[in-house]
Amino acid sequence: MSSDRPPGPAQTTRARNGRRFAWLLDPRLVTTVVGSLAVVLVAGLVQVSFGAYSMTLGQAWGAVFDPDVVLNRQAWNAFLLGGDLPEMSRESLVVWNIRMPRVFVAIIVGMNLAVSGAIFQAVTRNELASPFILGVSSGAGLTILLTLVVFGGLAAFLPLVAAVGGAVAFLVVYAIAWKNGTSPVRLVLAGVIVGTVFSSLQTALFFFADDIGVVQSAIAWTTGSLTGTDWEQVRMVLPWSVVALLLAVAGARQCNVLLLGEQTAKSLGMSVEKTRFALSGVAVLAAAASIAVAGIVGFVGLVVPHVVRNLVGSDYKRVIVGCLFVGPALMVGADVGARLALSPVQVPVGIVTGLVGGPYFLYLMRKQHSMGEI
Amino acid sequence: MASDADDPVRTNGAERAAAGACDDDDGTDASDLTGEDLVLQYPATEEPVVDGETLVAEPGAVTALVGPNGSGKSTLLGGLADQLDPDDGSVLVDGRDVHAMDTKEVARKLGVLSQESTSPDSITVEDLVYHGRYPHRGFFEHVTEADHRAVDGAIEMAGCDHLREREVGSLSGGQKQLAWIAMALAQDTDVLLLDEPTTFLDLHHQLEVMEIIETLRDESDVTVVVVLHDIEQAARLADRMVALKNGEIRARGSPGEVVTEELLAEVFRVDGEIEHTERGPRVTPLRARDDDGETPEDAEDASPSPEAE
Repeated sequence: MSSDRPPGPAQTTRARNGRRFAWLLDPRLVTTVVGSLAVVLVAGLVQVSFGAYSMTLGQAWGAVFDPDVVLNRQAWNAFLLGGDLPEMSRESLVVWNIRMPRVFVAIIVGMNLAVSGAIFQAVTRNELASPFILGVSSGAGLTILLTLVVFGGLAAFLPLVAAVGGAVAFLVVYAIAWKNGTSPVRLVLAGVIVGTVFSSLQTALFFFADDIGVVQSAIAWTTGSLTGTDWEQVRMVLPWSVVALLLAVAGARQCNVLLLGEQTAKSLGMSVEKTRFALSGVAVLAAAASIAVAGIVGFVGLVVPHVVRNLVGSDYKRVIVGCLFVGPALMVGADVGARLALSPVQVPVGIVTGLVGGPYFLYLMRKQHSMGEI
Repeated sequence: MASDADDPVRTNGAERAAAGACDDDDGTDASDLTGEDLVLQYPATEEPVVDGETLVAEPGAVTALVGPNGSGKSTLLGGLADQLDPDDGSVLVDGRDVHAMDTKEVARKLGVLSQESTSPDSITVEDLVYHGRYPHRGFFEHVTEADHRAVDGAIEMAGCDHLREREVGSLSGGQKQLAWIAMALAQDTDVLLLDEPTTFLDLHHQLEVMEIIETLRDESDVTVVVVLHDIEQAARLADRMVALKNGEIRARGSPGEVVTEELLAEVFRVDGEIEHTERGPRVTPLRARDDDGETPEDAEDASPSPEAE
């Protein structure tokens, strides 16, 4: 991984006088953050400017920066807490109430998936780990199908059911892998086992779906889609995400020590099992929150930590912060394609992330000598 | 290197005294480490590798464990290092059972350098050494002045100041070992356990590692237990030697007492001559003793050539 990167100049001038956040000013990290913000901004503006209700770019951008909305407490109260909407122009209404929440959900989901993937890559010490490696996606997928096909009455709680299904599958994986403690390899193998069984059951359930609408809905959920997301989704995902992401940032140093190997981590006084379970729990929380609003979006959690590591190096403090920005950039960008490429037909965003992520991995595979262990 | 090492040692000593306040450590006295009646076995094996051995590391001295491949010396060290839970027996540091202690508290008393260490390639030596301060920091605490001092002292003592900004992945085996030793030194423990620290290193780096250990012994009160492959090297370095075979301690004492022609024959299955020189005993192995019928289990040991010699 280190072949083409010059030794970071920031580290030679590292401030030694106890400046706590000096590492945030690493030029590679700053460049990454600024670049990602630019992508999010441009993609977000494209996203709010086009759609079924046609308006000019000027109108759309005017609406985005409409002071009546941006500076209106009642509006934010309506968006974030679900109060009544204030009076606003038609353009502002379309932009702020219909198009913007989708961008926000994309941002939050991108952060969650990227950070979750980064943590799982540290916990399993495997570069090819994703948020879904420990059974989360297959558990969520199975409960989604069960809800849609068998327990139709629970459809209103689908997001919750999906998230809980993912979390339960993770616990099952952990229980299977546990034998006087776990190891990265056993965890991954248990994830494969549970994933295989649950995916088979999920596929079997498709045969019992009698309605093409149910099948399409199931596919949208299991490939990940942001179609129809609203402020309600933002309200649903935001609190969990804030908790998970703060814990992830706080846990970055534990990830760094875990990467030194189990024996070294233990001899440094870390309770390896507890730390591993706690970090996995944080990562599952982030993944489950994103599943609840967007379904199972693939590749983001796999690719983004890679990109970030290539950009900022392997220090997890920087990797996690980088993921908080690069994740949204990929997610918002991909959603532009998902929503507008085949307009008026929308495809699930998970299809676009897969189409972008696959070739990127191919590129990495050709470029790097070794892949696998971090 | 050893000549200009006074300064870092003093920093280290001051650091230890400073840390002592929160470590309920009684000052600068060297710690003692005792493994009592240890029964050690790996989860996959049927029989214990070490069955009820007691080892007392003399405070402030270097104790070397020697023995042929598969003799259980690394296993014994792993047991002392709390990396392998003993089936029976206990490990005591300053009279306290390490199992009853908090993991971070153990790590402030007991440093370990494993035989194989892995790290991300792109981490710098300095960042690696800072990880040695992990047991001294709370979950939300940041690096303190004491951490900086300990890291600077450790890097200087390990003689890897010139490697500070280098990425670990770009270092040679010997340089990597120095970096890992610096990390263990930064941990600033009273007891240091080293598992074959010189194996696979070139002569220069072997001597550097040995000089670091000598400095530790001579200028601070660290109790060192080290597994060494090379019996001559062990005799030169150690104050006390312990020879193992098939998981049993066969001899213990000063190098002069332990390194004998009988021991070579019995434990290492080698005929050799021992010459006593100013720098300790010199061992000249002459021929391998085939099959004197002592222990049939030795046949399991499929790698007859000790790699260090």
